[in-house]
Parts: sequence; structure tokens; C-alpha cells
Amino acid sequence: MLDAYVTALGMVLDPYVLFVITASAIYGLVVGCIPGLSATMATALLVPLTFFMPPVPAIAAIVTTSTMAIFSGDIPGCLLRIPGTPASAAYVDDSYRMTQQGKPELALGIGLWFSVLGGLFGTAVMMVASPAIADFALGFGSVEFFWIVMLGLGGAVFIGSSTPLKACISLLIGLMIAMIGMNNPAGQPRFTFDSTEMLGGVSLIPMMVGMFACSEVMRHMISDGGAPQVVVKKIGPIFANMWRLTKQYPWQLIRGSAMGTVIGIQPGSGADMAAWMSYAMSKRFSKEPEKFGTGHPEGLIEAGASNNSSLAGAWIPALVFGIPGDSITAIAIGVLMMKNMSPGPTIFVNNPENVYALFLVFVIANLLMLPLGWAIIKIATRVLSVPRRILMPIILLFAIVGSYAINNSLFDVGVMLAFGVLAFVLEENDFPVAPVILGVVLGPLLEEYFINSMIKSDGSLIGLVNRPIAAVLAAITVGIIGWTILVSIRGSKAGKPAAQE
Amino acid sequence: MKFNDLFAGLVVLALSGLVASASWNLPNPSEQPLGPSAFPLILAGLLGFCALILAVNGARATDAGPLVGLADWTRNRGAVLRLLLVPAAVIFYMLFAETLGFLICATAILVVLFLVGGTRSLHAVAMALAAALVIHSIFYLGLGVQLPWGPLEPLRW
Repeated sequence: MLDAYVTALGMVLDPYVLFVITASAIYGLVVGCIPGLSATMATALLVPLTFFMPPVPAIAAIVTTSTMAIFSGDIPGCLLRIPGTPASAAYVDDSYRMTQQGKPELALGIGLWFSVLGGLFGTAVMMVASPAIADFALGFGSVEFFWIVMLGLGGAVFIGSSTPLKACISLLIGLMIAMIGMNNPAGQPRFTFDSTEMLGGVSLIPMMVGMFACSEVMRHMISDGGAPQVVVKKIGPIFANMWRLTKQYPWQLIRGSAMGTVIGIQPGSGADMAAWMSYAMSKRFSKEPEKFGTGHPEGLIEAGASNNSSLAGAWIPALVFGIPGDSITAIAIGVLMMKNMSPGPTIFVNNPENVYALFLVFVIANLLMLPLGWAIIKIATRVLSVPRRILMPIILLFAIVGSYAINNSLFDVGVMLAFGVLAFVLEENDFPVAPVILGVVLGPLLEEYFINSMIKSDGSLIGLVNRPIAAVLAAITVGIIGWTILVSIRGSKAGKPAAQE
Repeated sequence: MKFNDLFAGLVVLALSGLVASASWNLPNPSEQPLGPSAFPLILAGLLGFCALILAVNGARATDAGPLVGLADWTRNRGAVLRLLLVPAAVIFYMLFAETLGFLICATAILVVLFLVGGTRSLHAVAMALAAALVIHSIFYLGLGVQLPWGPLEPLRW
């Protein structure tokens, strides 16, 4: 393993890779900082560029961008009370209150310092846990994998979502989109409408760019779109009180990091849920819960560490089982597959140096966040005033060219537009978009595992549950789904009399 | 466009019906017990089931609003036009990229979108040209993507 790490270090310290890491870091920080541009969109727009890179820099670009964007989403939350990414929404009241009290540097410093510590914690867990889990999973057959994918999809739809039924419909639509083409166990063209372009299925990159970038441009068009007013003129020394706060709140840091990692591992819940739950937990166990929401550092520390550690946590099931925890890891899995590094337990056998390189990129990205994060905070007031009416058209053009570039195909530009419109209509009607992308990424795998398992058992459904690990996974999946349905039925019964009064 | 749950449910139900009918007769060349139609049929069944629940819930809801309502922004004609500009720009690119070339198409799209966003005309043209050149350099010089040149072919660098 040490040898592989040495090889990996050599791959990461390559000047080209270091350049890609630095460039994506700056890109992620700037995009995450601008309200209305999400970390997911930043990552999706980058995918066409990674298409042209070797595997290690491609993955490095995705990891670095998402890590940086999640942190810098704290900046507009703190300065404008507009969270840059949903993951920063949990503690925006506390951080904005600090700004009003004339201490923006304290809020931003906490965001930066504890994001780095939380991110490093999550990375350490990922480095230790994923090879071990992968080793255990080497003995899994198609039946176990079928249930792991089901568990991942079930978790995504039924745990993280406020509207499980609509999320379920989104997921099924995604799974059906994945059926298009001849990439199925029988090699039979399906739903291609006799078009040769559709034989290979819907290309993933234009689809992701459309769903996460084109749709956001469309949403911008129906909003007013002016740059928000920044009142803060000067930001003081950022790292001044951090060591004191670390010594004052060590438990909050550890609890937030651990909670974030666990929530990240659990498929379907990502950085935003980690931040909300950690903030609530911090308040629950605090000696001074009444101070929460008034510019108190405690909740910020715990939730800020939590949302960054969840990013690394989400990579564990993504790498070991190929199950994305959220839309960013879904995009990352798409990139891994594109680079012939299909995730799964064998990735540690086939491509160990690439995986270890990915771990090292996480470490480097988190360390690099200290100087670059400091720099972005110092120029934040200027970045925030970049007008979105200038940015959005450029993003649209980038989306068009990015979709075109991978196959030199105008058909792919049309695919991008179609999925942009689809995502826009879905979101307008409160259907979440992330399950669609999970469905498209996992659809072919799910079908393959299902059909292979059924062939092994001669078409008997018992074959899906007659191995012990498969049975346990099946029970957990059914439990999650059943419990959610039960809760929602009870909720609607309890809600009705109240509504009638 | 804002659909209420009854309407959305019915649309999705129709979709599941279409998928089911399209997958019903898919050939099964290798004579497996579960051919290529099995998985889509299962999905269509599940989707139909979910759609039915959504439609029933929508029909029973008292505060659901009209079948197809209009969101607030649709009353603002400017917003609707700006929204329609996005697909219009993409379709314009698809139709004219080969004949006009990337630089002309991209600059035209950006100028229009900047102007609609309220940028002053001279600024809009200058920024559009600069942005088009930067994106062109990233993809053409940086990544080696063959973007169409159109009438600017003699200027190719």
C-alpha cells in the first residue's frame, strides 16, 4: 500500500496536476461565492473540460472544485444573508448577525478554519475506511450489489427528501432515461426512435450540463438578477481567534466532523443535511442554547466542520460501491466511468494508485483552502458585486460549447437544451432534480445486477434474498421505504383535522 | 407553467403507459427468461403506481388550484421573453453554428443576452467579443476542439 501511495504522490505532484488543482480551486471558490451559482453547477460545467484530461487531473478538478465551492458558499451567507450553496443555509443567521455586529472576519474565519479541519477529518476516515470496506465487499455477487444500489436509491429518495413521492417519480424518470440505447444486458436497442445518435444512449455530459447549468440560467432569467448590495467595506484579520476557538470548542469540532462524515456516507444525504443536523445537535447539547442565532460561534463551528467532512464521507460509498451520495458525487461517478475507472470494490485492486491519488488530492485541496480561502475572503466584496446578468449568458455559452466539444456533435447541444428544459419544468413543479441524475447514473448497473441475479436463480424472486448479506440489505431497504410511507400516511392523517378546522 | 398534482400525476401516468407499450414487444433474441423488456416494464409499473397516488392526492386536495396554473413570473412579460431567449439562443446556435462559425454565433448570442439584461450597447458588444474569444481559446487552443469557423475560415489561427 505504501508503494502505491508513493506512486500516487508522484502522480499528484506532477506540475500539470498541480496547475489543474490550483485553477479548479480558484474557480470553485469564485463560483461558490456568487449567490445563485451552486457548487453542483460549478462541478457540472467543469465536466466537459475533464473529458480531455487524463484520469488523475480530471478527478482532482472535480474534488477540488466541489470542496472549495462548499466552503465559499459561506461567504455570501455571512456578508449578505444569501447562502451561496444550500449547505451554508443552516447557520446563515448566526454568521450574518456577526457581520452586523462588525465582526465579519470572525464568521468567515470560523467558516474557513473549521471547514479545513472538518474536511481533513472526513478525508482521514475515507482513507482508512474505504479500502477496508472494499476488501469486505470483494466477495459480493450481483445480488448483493443489486441491494446496495437499491439501498442507495431508496436512501436518496426516501431520506433526504421533503416530497418522497415526487422524488420517487423523478428517480423512475431518471432510470427510464438510462434505458435508452443498446447498453443493456441483451444488447437490444430500446426507445431510440430509430435514431443512430440515440443508440449509445443519452450522453451523460450534455445531460448534466443541461440539468445543472442551463436550467439555472433559465431560472435566473425569470428573476430580477441584479447584483446584491454589499455593505461590508473592510474585513479584519481572519485567523486571529481561531486557535482560541479550537481550544474552547474541541468537542463541537469533533462531533460536527464525525456527524458530517456519517451523514455523507449515508447515501442520499449530503452537505446541506449534514449542516442542518449538526447545527441542531450543537444547539441541543450546548450550555448556552439561547445564544444560537444571535451571532454565537458554537453552531457555526460544528455545522461548518460538518458540511465539509460530509463531502469526503460521500466519496466512500461512491468509490467502493459506485453509489453517489448526492448530485456532486453522481457527477464524479460519471467522470470516473468516463475515465475507465468504474467505481466498485475492485477499484482498489485494479487502480489503487489512482484512488490513493484521489485521497491525496482531498488532503491537498483542504490544505490549499487555507491560503486561497483567505485570499477570496479578502476580495469577497468585489466578487459578490459581479453582476449575474453578465455571468449567466457566458455560462449558457459555456454550456453550449461544452456539450458540443465532447463529440463535435450539435445533437448533444440539443440534448443539453432538452434536459435543461426538463429540469426547469420539474423544479417549477417541486419535483427534485438530483434523483433524476442518480437514476441515470445507476440505471444501467441496477438493470445488469437485477437481470444477472434473476438469470442465476432461474427467474425466481427468492434468489434476491436467499443469501445472508443480501437479505440484510434487502431488509434495511424495505425498512427505510416502509417507514417513510408509514410516516407520510400518519402525517397526512394528523394534518387533515388541523387543516379542516 | 405550474401543474397541480392531479394534472402532473395524469401526465406521468400517460408517460408510464407509453413506456410500457413501447417495451411490451421488444425482441428477446437470446430467449432469456427476462428479456430486454422486463426491466422497463417493471419501471413503468412503479411509475404508473406513483403517478396514480399523486393524481389521487391531487384530486382530493382542496387547495390545489387550477389544473394548469401560471406561476407569478408568467404575468411579467419581460420575464417570459427573457426565459424564451435561452432555448432560442441554443437553437440559433444549433442551426447556424456550421454556416456562421463559432465566433460570430457566440458573439451574437452574448450581445443579445447582455442587451436584454440591461448592459449598455457598447459594453455589451465589447464584452461579448471578449468572452467569445476567451471561450474559443479555452476549447480550440487549450483542448483542441474543432469549433466551426464559418466565413472567418481565412482568418483561422
